[in-house]
Amino acid sequence: MSLLAYDFMQRALLAALLTGLAAPAVGTYLVQRRLALMGDGIGHVAVTGVALGLLTGTSPVLTAVVVATLGAVLIEVIREYGRASGDVALALLFYGGLAGGVLITGIAGTGPNVLYAYLFGSITTVSAGDVWTTAVLAIVVITLSLVLAPRLFAVAQDADFARVAGLRVGFYNVLVSVLAAVTVTVAMRTVGLLLVSALMIVPVATSQQLARGFKATLLGAMALGCVASGSGLMVSAYADVAPGATIVLIALGLFACTWPLGALMRRRQRLAAPFSTAPEPEEHQLAHDEQDHQHGPDCGHRAIPHGDHVDYVHDGHRHAPHGQHYDEH
Amino acid sequence: MTHPPAERSPTAPVRDHEVLLEVRDGAVALGGRPVLRGIDLSVHRGEVVAILGTNGSGKSTLVRTCLGLVPTTRGEVRLFGTPPSRFDAWHRVGFVPQRATAAAGVPASVQEVVASGRLSRRPFWRPAGRADRRRVAEVLETVGLADRAHDNVATLSGGQQQRVLIARALAGEPELLVLDEPTAGVDLESQQALADTLRRLLASGATVVVVAHELGPLASLVDRVVVMQDGRVSYDGPPADLPPDPQGGHHHPDVDSYARATDAVPEVSSPVDRLADRAAADRRAWRQE
Ligand SMILES: Nc1ncnc2c1ncn2[C@@H]1O[C@H](COP(=O)(O)OP(=O)(O)OP(=O)(O)O)[C@@H](O)[C@H]1O
Ligand SMILES: Nc1ncnc2c1ncn2[C@@H]1O[C@H](COP(=O)(O)OP(=O)(O)OP(=O)(O)O)[C@@H](O)[C@H]1O
Ligand SMILES: [Mg+2]
Ligand SMILES: [Mg+2]
Ligand SMILES: [Zn+2]
Ligand SMILES: [Zn+2]
Ligand SMILES: [Zn+2]
Ligand SMILES: [Zn+2]
Repeated sequence: MSLLAYDFMQRALLAALLTGLAAPAVGTYLVQRRLALMGDGIGHVAVTGVALGLLTGTSPVLTAVVVATLGAVLIEVIREYGRASGDVALALLFYGGLAGGVLITGIAGTGPNVLYAYLFGSITTVSAGDVWTTAVLAIVVITLSLVLAPRLFAVAQDADFARVAGLRVGFYNVLVSVLAAVTVTVAMRTVGLLLVSALMIVPVATSQQLARGFKATLLGAMALGCVASGSGLMVSAYADVAPGATIVLIALGLFACTWPLGALMRRRQRLAAPFSTAPEPEEHQLAHDEQDHQHGPDCGHRAIPHGDHVDYVHDGHRHAPHGQHYDEH
Repeated sequence: MTHPPAERSPTAPVRDHEVLLEVRDGAVALGGRPVLRGIDLSVHRGEVVAILGTNGSGKSTLVRTCLGLVPTTRGEVRLFGTPPSRFDAWHRVGFVPQRATAAAGVPASVQEVVASGRLSRRPFWRPAGRADRRRVAEVLETVGLADRAHDNVATLSGGQQQRVLIARALAGEPELLVLDEPTAGVDLESQQALADTLRRLLASGATVVVVAHELGPLASLVDRVVVMQDGRVSYDGPPADLPPDPQGGHHHPDVDSYARATDAVPEVSSPVDRLADRAAADRRAWRQE
């Protein structure tokens, strides 16, 4: 009988797919701002949140969202007003969060197994209530990441310019941090807090290999994240291993595959623009003198429309007539 | 200190126009260090103001202050008559920041970077429309990067990236353009194209503030020069009266006045703007003889 027939498995898969979409969406903005490790910092802070939930008997998802959001805002505040740079601010929270979490779990007297489920993900512990919270939060994160994409992009690309364009840079920076905090909590049940940052960053790194624009990177990363978390979850269920590790390893596997693919694509692009193999100018002139050939629609050379003129590919270069001479484009 | 209008340029009628940018008795400190002091500057609609000065003299800080990117420790700043913190008509302003690169941590296509220049023209929920796309294509054509629209900006050369920043500022169709070294590293042909574009914008009523070391083809557009020296305005007036300045170097808009000024007033290199003004007045008097 298929594992998918189980309720808990369907719930876990839904949670995983939504996580796979949301985490790389936020991760793209973090990478753009060169804060790739932000997710990690927030993840560690969320450990304290989970521990607080376990200690007080409230929902760990809820306390984790609250504590992670506070931590994320704190990182922004330290970055903005403190004299510490972004990565130092991250490191401070990073250690404080993990230490606090372990300490509080010890006080709460719950075994390490309970915390383990949150640190590395666990399918069987996903309750129906959890899945709804997760789904709603993930959809909010995905919607905001896509609807506000042009503005979040502009703010991360050039904060000064964004400010003069009338965008509230501080607000959008905090928003990205809060979205990251929410994503961490969303991903906690499937990937686990210690590996959630990988799901935010690795698909982006993969997508970057192939994409030339921001939108392509963002959508590509979301698709890759979805594939990695969906397939990782299924594999982990059949092999009975921790889902977090499986998902992250699959994401890394995808990265390893696209790396040579990206290199290959860039090489093919270079071949399509044969400038690099162009002969020396004298040879170029020579080839033209010998040929006595008029380029035109049916001259047999590949024609490439190029702005206001047409280039012709011949003898390894893109030939562009220009007044009395030829340019190579 | 404000300059009596008659002394600045007897021919320019723009001084009667609305003041778009104004700094009164402005002082700025960065990292606890005073960087600007005693700044009085007003830019009127229709003017083309060039801000010159040596590296570190405070040119970038001055324009960033005018746009509200840097807080003042003293004095007042007005942008279209409003303090920058309460200003909300940002679509009227275009800005080219001084940047080493247009790229960030994730690939972004030339078109996407330029399209962010349109954001001030629409509310956050509305995606880019046809007018936005048309304008982006138009400005890419202007800066000669139409064929690179879909390339990653990180793969462009330094000068090409600078042209991307210019295109982004032009995309918003601003009334006031603030350009911080827009032509740094840009070839002569593209500088000429920028000058032509600015001339067209001026004809339609735009105002330009441009920071530069070498004005190049922009020189013919400039009708007022502000020279910064050690965080102060050391000269504010028409380019023709610009005193030669042994440290500041390279700006000689007209060789004739350059030579004459040296002969007539040997002490004009003084950093105090009152002296520079007197020198300008002296020279005018000298010429009338
Ligand atoms: N963030 C900062 N903290 C402290 N001092 C700063 C800061 N930014 C600039 N300064 C100082 O302020 C002074 C003016 O800098 P500014 O960038 O305005 O110079 P500039 O005239 O634009 O020079 P350039 O021609 O090199 O662009 C410099 O001496 C610089 O060292
Ligand atoms: N990392 C890169 N990947 C792909 N193409 C690149 C990369 N860097 C530069 N190029 C391309 O190589 C060409 C030459 O770039 P280069 O930076 O050497 O120009 P340059 O002569 O220094 O120009 P500039 O005067 O603008 O500095 C440009 O067309 C540019 O688009
Ligand atoms: Mg500067
Ligand atoms: Mg170069
Ligand atoms: Zn041919
Ligand atoms: Zn040829
Ligand atoms: Zn040519
Ligand atoms: Zn061509």
